[in-house]
Amino acid sequence: MTKTTGMKTGLNRRSVLTGMAAAGAAAVMPRRLYAQEQITLRWWSPQSSPEQLAAYRTQIANFEALHTNVTVAFERTSDEGYAPQMAAAFASGDVPNIVTHLPSFAVSNYWSNGLVEPFNDVIEMIGPEKFYDGVNRIYEIDPGQYAGTSIGNSAANTMWLRTDLMEQAGIDRNPRTWDELLSAVDKMQGGGIYGAPLPYGRNSMTSLIFIGTIHQAGGMVFSPELEVAIDSQETRDALEFYGAMRQYCPPGATNYSWGDSLTAFVAGATATGIYTGRVLTNVMDQNPSIADHITCDVFPTKSTDIAPWTFNDFPSVFIPKAASNMEATKQFAAFLYDPEGYIQQLHAAPGHVLPVLSTIAEDPAYLADPIIQKYKAEVDIMSAAAADGFNLGWESPEHKPNTRAGEVVNSGVIAEMVQRVILNDENVDEVLSDTARRIEEIAQS
Amino acid sequence: MTTIATDPPRNGPSPLERSYSRLGMLLIAPTIVVFSAVIVYPLLAAIYLSVFSIYTPTLEGEFVGADNYIEMLTGGVFWSSLLTTLIWTVGTLSLQIVFGVGLALLLHQNIWFRSLARSLVLFPYFLSTVVAVLVWRWLFNDLYGALNHGLMQVGIIDMPLDWLGSMPNAMIGVILVGAWKYFPFVVIAVLARLQTIPENLYEAARIDGAGPIARFWDVTLPQLRSVLTVIILLRAIWDFKEFDLLYLLTGGGPVTSTQTLSLLVYQEAFSLNRMGQAAAYSVGMMLVMLVFMILYIRRTKEES
Repeated sequence: MTKTTGMKTGLNRRSVLTGMAAAGAAAVMPRRLYAQEQITLRWWSPQSSPEQLAAYRTQIANFEALHTNVTVAFERTSDEGYAPQMAAAFASGDVPNIVTHLPSFAVSNYWSNGLVEPFNDVIEMIGPEKFYDGVNRIYEIDPGQYAGTSIGNSAANTMWLRTDLMEQAGIDRNPRTWDELLSAVDKMQGGGIYGAPLPYGRNSMTSLIFIGTIHQAGGMVFSPELEVAIDSQETRDALEFYGAMRQYCPPGATNYSWGDSLTAFVAGATATGIYTGRVLTNVMDQNPSIADHITCDVFPTKSTDIAPWTFNDFPSVFIPKAASNMEATKQFAAFLYDPEGYIQQLHAAPGHVLPVLSTIAEDPAYLADPIIQKYKAEVDIMSAAAADGFNLGWESPEHKPNTRAGEVVNSGVIAEMVQRVILNDENVDEVLSDTARRIEEIAQS
Repeated sequence: MTTIATDPPRNGPSPLERSYSRLGMLLIAPTIVVFSAVIVYPLLAAIYLSVFSIYTPTLEGEFVGADNYIEMLTGGVFWSSLLTTLIWTVGTLSLQIVFGVGLALLLHQNIWFRSLARSLVLFPYFLSTVVAVLVWRWLFNDLYGALNHGLMQVGIIDMPLDWLGSMPNAMIGVILVGAWKYFPFVVIAVLARLQTIPENLYEAARIDGAGPIARFWDVTLPQLRSVLTVIILLRAIWDFKEFDLLYLLTGGGPVTSTQTLSLLVYQEAFSLNRMGQAAAYSVGMMLVMLVFMILYIRRTKEES
């Protein structure tokens, strides 16, 4: 039997050399490791007004101060452009770490295709008890699994009114029904001022606003079991009302989207408006002369026995499954709800994105904003409406989550239906039948 | 009788020729690689994708054979978009040629500030399409647009016109903006050719009693023929596949009245997430463009 005759320590020459090499490598390791630990998180959002960007910078700076090895890069997308950008990102695998402010139905579509990281951890970090009841329900597409959460609420089809023009026209209360609205805009239109800036363009705004109009007639696009239900008398009524409103809208409303519609009301070119609470800050900044003469209400319905239906796109926060640095990403997602930055973000457009955390809504720092104080009644109306709001991804409490809603909206099929009937005067029955068929195809594809 | 000894006949290229051949292949290789990467690969990828039903974000799907092509040929939307594309292309190209040739003739004359005018006329062509569209959307705006305001001021219209949201105004609008944006290319090319037409041709025409119009038809236009042919073919190809200007101005609306094939491909790929169908449409579009390309290649061969 041969005994090893090496050193008493049991180390042979090879081991010593290996150890020296390892020690040499270790000597340079700290810098390299440090370099590897420096990470960049990419944040995408379609909401990027200058005030919002300032708020994001605060949130990013606060997070980076807490985590010195993390850099957060903000990158803009847009309401009309996020779909192709996200599709390209998912297809290439070069995804952002975190995406905010996309409508909930977009997230549910990505979730159903396995592209989204479960958000349960982040909700736990934020504190599920802080959220308003039901805020997270729309993101619970599979039982117990959250695809994301809301970063805010919005009331997209809030009706805005010029009180001075109402007074001049002898209108003593806000329109509650379509007939009252038609009568009101008829009285207020004139002298270079149009009645309303409803959108008739081939874009997402027309689709979203008209989905609301169908519900305001008592109808729906999909049944609770997600059968296509758009070919109905209620949709015909909605088209008739929407067509009747056309004469009270500016000629260019045939191409209006969010920005055009907002500007028309803020500039004082229309007596009523349809938008979120961004109207408030835009009026204060761009046309303060009407600031004391505006108010808002839920959009009228066909009759008083139909409850108002507010379009809330439940602006989201979600994390693509392929995102890198998942732990840091989740920490940043939760940090977005840190009171200082979150309140500044909400104040960037007061009333536009409404808080989803009850702790923030009651926070004196949030309530101290001058616009929120000035328009407390209007913010309360929008908050209540948004809290009871729905969208195509979730049309009513009875509905199942609709993971194809984003594609239906993005296809423009509903906006095209509006244009074909109202602008082209095509046969309603044929257009509705065609629209139902196309939605069916999208739903089944 | 003597014979002169000669080298035996060679069966193949000499070492020097082989060396040159290898060098040639080496020199051309980068071009082949780049060409394959940016032209051949995307082309083959599009054809490959077009026989699948593919969800865009994941690029996963199933083989469907010719289904996408059958839908393309029988669905109607491809043909209506092709018709829209042809209307747009012919409309905007005609205006580009008319305005371009007209302005080139003007700038060829001895006018005041000719150099400045020649520089300024290029401005639309160099302007970013996004900026140009923003400016034009503002001009077309119904509430505060300068165009409607001006027309109402001079009493041509009583109410603002809906320039981009109804037909035929929307198509006329995009054609006008397209012509404004791209006519400087025609100006540059035609002006360059005008400066090379021998002056003695015009002198001979004058001696023969030809007036300005006759000189244009009998001297200038024949001399411009070759350059105009190339311009028309090139601009036809570029206008046919135009995307950003149309997308930003009208988004293809109202309904689908200004939806060209490029917009259709985009909508299928990214709004409906049907990459396979989009690829089939783009292959169809490519086949139509192939006609223009063949004409262009034949023309340039004749020129050379």
